[in-house]
Amino acid sequence: MTIEKTDVVIVGVGAAGGILAAELGKAGIKVIGLERGPRLKTVDFEAHDELRFFQRQDLRPDPKRMPVTWRPNPGATAHPIPSQNNGNEAGGGTVHYGALSWRFHEDDFRVRSATMERYGKATLPEDSSVIDWPLSYKDLEPYYERAEYELGVSGKAGNLKGQKFEGGNVFEAPRQREYPLKPLLIDQVGVNFTGAAKKLGLHPFSSPHAIVSEPYNDRPGCTYCGFCQAFGCHVGAKSSILVTKLPEADATGNFKLITGAMCYRVNSDNSGKVTGVSYYGPGGDDNTIEAEIVILSPFIYDNVRLLLLSKTEKFPNGLANSSGHLGRHIMAHIGARAFAAFDDRHVNVYMGPSAQKNSIDDYNADNFDHTNLGFIRGAQISAGPAGLEGGPLGTAMSMTPPPGVPRWGAAFRDFYAKYYTRHTALTGQTENLPYPDQMIDLDPHVRDAWGLPAPRMTYDWRRPNERARVEFIQGKMVQIGQAMGAPLVWTAPFGPGSPGAHHQGGTRMGSNPKESVVNKYSQSWDIPNLFIMGSSTHPTMSGFNPTLTIQALAYMTADAIVNRYRKNPGSLL
Amino acid sequence: MPKHDEGRRAFLVGTAVAGAAATTALVPGARAQTNSQNMPMQGDVMAPAMGGGHGAFFNDDDARTIKAFAERLMPGAPGKPGATDADVLNYIDLALSGSYTDQQEFYRHGLAQLDAHCLATYGKEFRNLSAAQQDETIAALEHGKTKAFSWPSAQAFFNIVHKHTMEGMFSDPVYGGNKNFSGWILVGFPGAQMQFTEQDMLSKEAFTREPIVGMQAALKSKRG
Repeated sequence: MTIEKTDVVIVGVGAAGGILAAELGKAGIKVIGLERGPRLKTVDFEAHDELRFFQRQDLRPDPKRMPVTWRPNPGATAHPIPSQNNGNEAGGGTVHYGALSWRFHEDDFRVRSATMERYGKATLPEDSSVIDWPLSYKDLEPYYERAEYELGVSGKAGNLKGQKFEGGNVFEAPRQREYPLKPLLIDQVGVNFTGAAKKLGLHPFSSPHAIVSEPYNDRPGCTYCGFCQAFGCHVGAKSSILVTKLPEADATGNFKLITGAMCYRVNSDNSGKVTGVSYYGPGGDDNTIEAEIVILSPFIYDNVRLLLLSKTEKFPNGLANSSGHLGRHIMAHIGARAFAAFDDRHVNVYMGPSAQKNSIDDYNADNFDHTNLGFIRGAQISAGPAGLEGGPLGTAMSMTPPPGVPRWGAAFRDFYAKYYTRHTALTGQTENLPYPDQMIDLDPHVRDAWGLPAPRMTYDWRRPNERARVEFIQGKMVQIGQAMGAPLVWTAPFGPGSPGAHHQGGTRMGSNPKESVVNKYSQSWDIPNLFIMGSSTHPTMSGFNPTLTIQALAYMTADAIVNRYRKNPGSLL
Repeated sequence: MPKHDEGRRAFLVGTAVAGAAATTALVPGARAQTNSQNMPMQGDVMAPAMGGGHGAFFNDDDARTIKAFAERLMPGAPGKPGATDADVLNYIDLALSGSYTDQQEFYRHGLAQLDAHCLATYGKEFRNLSAAQQDETIAALEHGKTKAFSWPSAQAFFNIVHKHTMEGMFSDPVYGGNKNFSGWILVGFPGAQMQFTEQDMLSKEAFTREPIVGMQAALKSKRG
């Protein structure tokens, strides 16, 4: 058992924690980062091994050691979900992610107000818990820009200071500055998608990726090998926290990373402040870190779980939970999928940056008129491999064969042999509204390898507004597939209501301490020296991938701690 | 590659010889030829994993069952390598004695239930059925229409064998399947390429530039 003292302890050094570690360290603040997984290097990713990294998910939590359970409703038994989206090493999910790097739309930050203004209050589902964010796009824009430039994001502006540019996303919120790097190269999938979308009067563009398209900050440009989503990058072109912010944090001399460290409790005293954290080391040893500030930045499961596990007499419902909203309002992207297969051309979907290669934003957010559609919000629609990486194993596991083709036998073999290199998937990454009964609590029956109760999700997206949205999106994807000239276009059936990708919510931010867990600086309303970072703070989710927003919020919090909190500890509002 | 599997593979070099002749004899000449024509670099790289196909986990009877099951899921034909050509059995055998040791009981129970079902239905074990009867049995498992299964359920057993067969067909040959890159040749995947050019990305043609790259070959060429 050891006791260490530091200024700041960060639990989970991923998309948010890595940025805070570097920025606080640069300001002369002593930081200890706790990471339950290892710290890997670019050289560890030379093996282009689909079995290990995609199928066996070697960069993600082992569901046997770190189970997260799910049940569709409180009456059902929860079972461990087979795979988790988040990372399990220093750098977190940014090591293996597809590196999609979006700024949310202006109306993504004010879904409640924007919906009521345009369609009336009745269009908001009665049982939903949609609130506005406590900050606007404009507040966050400087931090988006900083994240894009410091990390390295490739793309093309579609709205530069209000001026629209075809080839970029014309629906994006106005940006003050062009992307630091030109878009990644287009592949044959992108050519087909772009041509079809234009034919339909839509506005296709190269999806912005945190993958450098040319040498940047001493890192080489992308080689388009295709071993991208689910893999670490073998040349370091993916702008993961591992190759961007962690080296910066190291260089400050103020940062110490402890790997193999499983944080199990945030410690607090009777004055209403947190005093540090306790964690199990790699050998099971029990250790404590005392700190002036505690920053929680693991994935949403552990944010909620740690706060619940840390309850005391003073905080009987868990830390930071005077509102009773801790663990509630979780969301996940609903996946609509279609496929298009060609007879007259190969598209070789396994090449290039694998995830969500090219996109349209026409049916996302409130970029189209929802009058009489029976739902609000939408989806980002993109083309790419079925499993978000295009190897033959991932595709075999992820692709649903078209009607009439079985999953096995000579007919499957012949279908797969012909169409593996001649097909693409279309993905509709569909926004999910928050509902208070979509939640995470502690599983009373399942424990992890450390003996801690597993986080348990109670969630089923199949509500009327969500169904109508995802069915509409699927219809649009079929139109795009047909406009590609693909003789074979089909859809995948919707799943059993289980949560899809990009889990968000659970410690949501808001303007009102009675209906949210943190303020706009991700600072606990109840405990001012406790910061709770990451997508768990998102009150609504957008149809876009969340990482760049997580990172922009982390920069904003880092600035607030360095420039204001340090001089005057207490609430930042 | 996990060290565990590596150890098993080394172990197999000594034990797999006995089964080698029988296994090789079952591979139709046409298929073997197709593969070797497309395989400029296999040579010593794959030698340890070739030949026996089992011995690390399965007994002879169960090996025949899994081999037949996998072959019905991904049947071979002239010019179209299947599960036997890819040595899917060898992959599963190694996996169950390596990364998937926790699934040994699942397979033992599943195989016993499969035999019980086939004996009750056809009077023979699965491995001794005709191809048509095997297909009928697999379809019954897939759709949960068998009474003989409790744990694992028929569908769970089908799903796992199906998943492991796909893994054996399409994962890198270092894991003991995808022999001679037969799975990758079947679908036209060029393997672990380190780079594609702008022209490659824009091409509407099949990517045929040789060689197909597996992980061991990639490391060998790098280290000279």
